[in-house]
Amino acid sequence: MNSPSHLLVSTRKGLFVLTRGAHAWQVERTAFLGDKVTLTGVDRRDGSWYAALDLGHFGCKLHRSTDQGRSWTELAVPAYGPDDVVAVGDGKPDAPATLKLIWAFAHGGEGEPGRLWLGTLPGGLFRSDDHGASWRLMRGLWDRPERKEWFGGGYDTPGIHSICVDPRDARRLLIAVSTAGVWRTDDGGETWSICAKGMRAEYMPPERAYDEIAQDVHQMVQCAAAPEHLWVQHHNGIFRSTDGARSWQEIENVAPSVFGFAVAVHPTDPHRAWFVPAIKDQFRIPVDAQLVVTRTRDGGQTFDQLRHGLPQHHCYDLIYRHGLAIDATGERLAIGSTTGGLWISEDQGDTWAALDARLPPVHAVGWG
Amino acid sequence: MPRVVLASALSRWLPAYAAGAPREAAFDIDATDLHGLLDALFARHPNLRGYVLDEQGVVRHHVAIFVDGQAIRDKANLRQPLAASSEVYVMQALSGG
Repeated sequence: MNSPSHLLVSTRKGLFVLTRGAHAWQVERTAFLGDKVTLTGVDRRDGSWYAALDLGHFGCKLHRSTDQGRSWTELAVPAYGPDDVVAVGDGKPDAPATLKLIWAFAHGGEGEPGRLWLGTLPGGLFRSDDHGASWRLMRGLWDRPERKEWFGGGYDTPGIHSICVDPRDARRLLIAVSTAGVWRTDDGGETWSICAKGMRAEYMPPERAYDEIAQDVHQMVQCAAAPEHLWVQHHNGIFRSTDGARSWQEIENVAPSVFGFAVAVHPTDPHRAWFVPAIKDQFRIPVDAQLVVTRTRDGGQTFDQLRHGLPQHHCYDLIYRHGLAIDATGERLAIGSTTGGLWISEDQGDTWAALDARLPPVHAVGWG
Repeated sequence: MPRVVLASALSRWLPAYAAGAPREAAFDIDATDLHGLLDALFARHPNLRGYVLDEQGVVRHHVAIFVDGQAIRDKANLRQPLAASSEVYVMQALSGG
């Protein structure tokens, strides 16, 4: 497979499109300069890009480009209905449901032209079958009574931040929620069941530690070539499934920390995964102020600490959940930080090179 | 006929105003209340609705609407009457940063 030719960096002040020059990666062009781009998704079926904006005053917007970011067209955004209410399980009062953030993007299968998925705050999953011209709330998930037990992790409301479409059968999806574990559909989003068995929430009262709905998954990824293999970075640590999310195993004692937000899995080797650890909860800074990427190549039995090219002195960069991405070849990785740092590796993380630029805070990185 | 003025931070999202330097956009609209005025405005510029109102029809938290110099009191009830000479300003609230 050819290497993707663009790195899409969504930031607090616009979208930065990077390409590989003769000697280094560089900013080739920008879009939405000055506006908050929270996520940029790529539809690999037709090469189009989708940029999610959060305009603050004027709400969340979605734009599409079919010419690799040179021009953009505004699309519809998901909308909640007049009777939809956000009820949460941590004691906050009910409130009318309105779109707060577009938090996850995925496209449908080869046999589903125009199908797109968006995960949102306050917790709705939306599907489009017309390239984003219209959106439908997946009521089979939204109307489940357990949704009223979901709660926000880092936000006032719950949100869907991870969507994994099974490459073998695109009607099968796994989504992850902060905070409500992992959910599965086998029928294109109509019916759902929870599948977070084995996850452990140390932050909950002890009797609810293994409650599937109380699991704060920070991010979930699926191996493209071995979709039964999934990796999760959880508020509480690292979890792995080898049976399509039917069960999860916790991987403990990973130095320097099992806390973090981001995870990536190799596209063809399900035993290889990457994480970016931090000090948990109220700190959320790199351990010892040294930026480290951890990597396993044996399914989580051992981990490497990758530091070459990453700052090792007074570094306070945090890599948030969409701030780590691996390309389709499995060779290139990128990390972008909440303080605007950006590093790229072209050897699976062994060495890293910083982008020669000072970017705004990075919300997401992705390969296009 | 009442006049509605959109702040440049808002008008720049209208396709007709996207090019060039940011500038206010003003429209004269025949309406007897604020709801009717905004509805007619959104009919002319369909993408604008989602910038001013959320999907529940409420004026966005960080959007301010002034009618004849006074901020509207109830963002969920737009049945406020307008005079033929009324001027309506739609702008970003400073609370939004």
